[in-house]
Amino acid sequence: MTEHRPQRIVIIGFGPVAASLVEGLLPAAASGQCAITVISAEEHLAYNRVLLAELAVGAAEFEHLGMVDPQRLADAGVEVRLGVRATGIDRSRRRVHLQDAGHIFYDRLVFATGARAVVPTLNGLNFDPHAEASLPAGVFALRTVDDANQLRESLGPGRRIAVLGGGVLGIEAALAIATTGAQPVLVHHGPAPLGRVVDADGGALLARNLRAAGVEVVSGAKATGIHKDDQGFAGLMTSTHGLIQADALLISTGVRARTELASGCGLPVGRGIRIDEFLCADTERRIFAVGDCAEVAGQPPAGLLAPGWAQAAWLSRHLLELDNSTVSASLPAPDFSASDVLMLKGQGIELTAAGDISAGYWDEPDLQATVYADPARGRYLKIVTRRDAVTGFLAMGLPQTSAELVLAYERGTALPEDRSALLRLDDPATEQVSAIPSDEDQLCRCSGATYGQVAHAVNAGCTTVTQVGESCRAGTGCGGCKAKIEELLAKAPAVA
Amino acid sequence: MTATHCPYCALQCGITLEPSTQAEASEPVSLKGRDFETNGGALCRKGYSAATLLDHPERLQTPLLRQADGSLAPIGWEQALDLVADKARSIRAESGADALAVFGSGSLTNEKAYQLGKFARLALGTSRIDYNGRFCMSSAAAGTNRAFGLDRGLPFPLADLDEAGMILLLGSNVADTMPPFVRHLAGARENGGLVVVDPRRSATAKLCEDNAGWHLQPTPATDLPLLLGLAHVLVAESLADTGYLAARANGFDAVKASLVSWWPERTAQVTGVPAEQIRRTARALAQAASEAKAGGKPVYILTGRGIEQHANGTDTVTAAINLALLLGLPGTMAGGYGTITGQGNGQGGREHGQKCDQLPGYRKITDPEHRAQVARVWGVEPEIIPGPGLPAVELLEALGTPTGPRMMMIHGANPVISAPDASKVSRALASLDFLVVCDFFLSETAAQADLMLPVLQWAEEEGSMTNLEGRILRRRAALEAPGNARSELWILSQLAQRLDAPGRFSPAPREVFEELKEASAGGLADYSGVRWDDLDAGAAIYWPCPAGTEVRAEPGIRNGTPRLFLDGFAHADRRAVLVPVAFQPAPRKNTSATVSLVTGRLLEHYQSGAQTRRVAELAQAAPEPLLEIHPATALSHQIAQGQKVVISNERGEVTARALLTADARLDTVFLPFHYPGSGTANLLTEAKVDPHSRMPEFKHAHVSLNAVEEEQ
Repeated sequence: MTEHRPQRIVIIGFGPVAASLVEGLLPAAASGQCAITVISAEEHLAYNRVLLAELAVGAAEFEHLGMVDPQRLADAGVEVRLGVRATGIDRSRRRVHLQDAGHIFYDRLVFATGARAVVPTLNGLNFDPHAEASLPAGVFALRTVDDANQLRESLGPGRRIAVLGGGVLGIEAALAIATTGAQPVLVHHGPAPLGRVVDADGGALLARNLRAAGVEVVSGAKATGIHKDDQGFAGLMTSTHGLIQADALLISTGVRARTELASGCGLPVGRGIRIDEFLCADTERRIFAVGDCAEVAGQPPAGLLAPGWAQAAWLSRHLLELDNSTVSASLPAPDFSASDVLMLKGQGIELTAAGDISAGYWDEPDLQATVYADPARGRYLKIVTRRDAVTGFLAMGLPQTSAELVLAYERGTALPEDRSALLRLDDPATEQVSAIPSDEDQLCRCSGATYGQVAHAVNAGCTTVTQVGESCRAGTGCGGCKAKIEELLAKAPAVA
Repeated sequence: MTATHCPYCALQCGITLEPSTQAEASEPVSLKGRDFETNGGALCRKGYSAATLLDHPERLQTPLLRQADGSLAPIGWEQALDLVADKARSIRAESGADALAVFGSGSLTNEKAYQLGKFARLALGTSRIDYNGRFCMSSAAAGTNRAFGLDRGLPFPLADLDEAGMILLLGSNVADTMPPFVRHLAGARENGGLVVVDPRRSATAKLCEDNAGWHLQPTPATDLPLLLGLAHVLVAESLADTGYLAARANGFDAVKASLVSWWPERTAQVTGVPAEQIRRTARALAQAASEAKAGGKPVYILTGRGIEQHANGTDTVTAAINLALLLGLPGTMAGGYGTITGQGNGQGGREHGQKCDQLPGYRKITDPEHRAQVARVWGVEPEIIPGPGLPAVELLEALGTPTGPRMMMIHGANPVISAPDASKVSRALASLDFLVVCDFFLSETAAQADLMLPVLQWAEEEGSMTNLEGRILRRRAALEAPGNARSELWILSQLAQRLDAPGRFSPAPREVFEELKEASAGGLADYSGVRWDDLDAGAAIYWPCPAGTEVRAEPGIRNGTPRLFLDGFAHADRRAVLVPVAFQPAPRKNTSATVSLVTGRLLEHYQSGAQTRRVAELAQAAPEPLLEIHPATALSHQIAQGQKVVISNERGEVTARALLTADARLDTVFLPFHYPGSGTANLLTEAKVDPHSRMPEFKHAHVSLNAVEEEQ
């Protein structure tokens, strides 16, 4: 009889998705069903990258970004090796080679190596898509705690920080920088930030709102290089706007999957590590990938957390099933499809967008564009629907409307035929009918007493709310209608 | 004149009863509000009209036995009791004691709840007992037990709310369900601090209007992520009370890590509550809590069935408790967490041993020491007390199955209306060999019974009740029961005798109360120091109240333990526990053909409506179920005001007329669950249960809507 050895699961990378995978495996690790080792090149336990801009400007503290409780991992026997780089995978011996630390064996290996910031081809910057770029002083991305610390050090009253890239992360970083007294300069190509997510009117309003929030916006810019002085970075060179002087440069031009370790051991790699719909990278079902490094069934990584978390939740169950049995090929494919909803985070500009809003008013008849613009109050809404189902929308300054639109978009629910019903959600002025109540109308919900009954009590000589209550029970429940009773009492003719 | 309490909800409003002197009086007693702390003399429509049921023409006055032709015929008590005992004996002999089942209620007095649990274990010898409180308080109980080590709905007197600066009220529509409760929200409203979380703009949510506070209106079944989002803001913005957490609670680090992924914008996308409202609410709570700790007005977080009656109800309660703990409130005078108990004796009903896993005094049936203590009071060997049984949903599902119960006794419950997936429940009851129902009306469940036993109503019996704040009250008799209706204590004592049960089964409430006290001594819900005479003198006594506690009856004096946890929580290390809870968003799928259904209560009706639908005044005010639907949603479904609508899903269909109201969300319709037949909302709800509490998913189902063309 062979003793059951716990399944050895090795996870490379310790970002938010790996944290979620470990969380899912934790009970099995605690019970000895599996032994987990996590290898991370970063020195920190998994943390939430979404909040790095807040961290950089001091609106969040690093200790609040941690996504794992080290004590719980230790209690479950999870081995975490921080600051250790995996240098290669030996698939035939099922070993992960570590820099300066020998190797470890695995039964299942999960790549959660994530993505690194894309460094654009600019004069003065090294360009290497498959390695961590070494950037000159004053130039950084915003992917790691170290990046956030660099940004923090660059801030100061009047300091100009160029932000290259008009995507949501660039905008959020620029807005966060603006709250510190430093001067952010958002440099991007195209007519407005957020590219195709916004239309011309929406883009114009966004740019206006950004400027109002203290962000200098340079649209339609083509960056060509960086200008350095003896302090390091001194400005961004463009072919369209000349030299844009700044004290630091935050690069926010997208990310690229970290795949070199996978390709180095012969696994297919495209926009990410190529895996099947069951997240598996090899025919032996030994190697898996999740999150930003993974190209699932031909779909490039979404660069969003939600699908990564869904993958991690599914994979944690799947790995344990694999341990128990050979999983049949007829398993239904899990659904990790990502929502493309974009919501600008927490900096005073309320913008939510999803899907494609390029349709014009006079396009094909079943594709309907509905638009509402209220420049005085900074509100703009464009909804594109196909047979009443939302295919794209942009909402600015309309928090409740956009929250409902997100749900309708995600679920494919039909919008009200009268789209203006959505706008009224942001105008909670209740449709209170001020019609004069009739005798049959209820005055007191709790007792059911009507205006007529109360009027009768008043006419019969009641002079206080208590007396009215004793007579017809009005006002004796929750007490909410006392004011109405007092009004009727006040109107009563004085007893002669 | 008799001072007692309203028969309905857990507010247990004080009332007085005076026998009617006029012969033509419409009610046998005249009922008036009494100045009692929970209601201050106020009553709601249900309470005012309660006395009309005492001599209602449909009142059952004699045992009824099902005949071969399906009709019910009156029989005598001797015959009825002999029949129950014979059936129980023969089924037990053939199929074992677990073939006998008992279903109790949170409407029974403490004495009846206690005696029923004892009867099941000793007289029937079965483990198969549970009660309708499983459908009510079980998630809150499971959540508070794991956080605080103890479950008492409000761990503070209700009147403490009067002083509140801020109250976060989730999933409770008190303005309809217990209107006099609203008086206790006045302080928070004046302070602009009432925050109501409800998918409907309910009567309670409207209390936030005019700057009295604000209303968060999430899409159904997303209360858990909303609470995680609120807690996220506290942690991310360094607003959590780390001093309190270090001194009084365990688990902060694990919970902190679990919250990082719920930043407001992500929460908004799942819940439909705008990110800024989430931030505003969290910041306001933190501000109010810090003021409260500096001597300002206290802050409370209260939950109701709306967030608890879900398959993740316990985790949702835990998230609400975690929020309160992050704010540093529970176990201090700066506020706390509480759940608003629903049924009249929903609190006492969950303490005295009618839960499948529980013995009196809130003891565990699996704990050898607890079993020994109760066995000693009962005068039996611990071994003869059966082990844990099945919780309500599983118990009802097991009925009539090859290994399931063949006979059931139901006391004070109407599961044909109130249980999830109601048509399945009705079929399960029909598959029993013998169904005994104790009730005072022929409820929809009683109508399926083989034997119907008529019992007393509230104004005809003596006993004790425990209200939503853990205060023990006296229920008093003001008149004689009509006909041959008998008390359940008497019925149980007669049956126990016929079944040669070990131990005492007194028919006298006060004697049972004395025994209950003894059985609870040393338990979490310790009643041993509560004296009947003190209750009669009007003393305000809150459990735990161990023997020897000094009790004074003067008004304004609170005895026993009015405020729990002030010097520590009920875990061995005296610390509260923050338990990390997770919410996994459902995979994206196209649900365009359906809308969300939420179920709930109306002001006019109580629970399954078995009582209130028989009160003419209430039945006229709310005669049939109405489907509340947003006008825009109605328009897209071609539903007009007042039109009949078939609401359906894979479990069943319900017909109701449409009530168009902008108080509904666009994606959500509402049905009250008080109605029978094709109006039974629970035909649509799912029997999927919470893993911790076994609470079913009452509050959310996907349904299709189809307008019915009516002949003109």
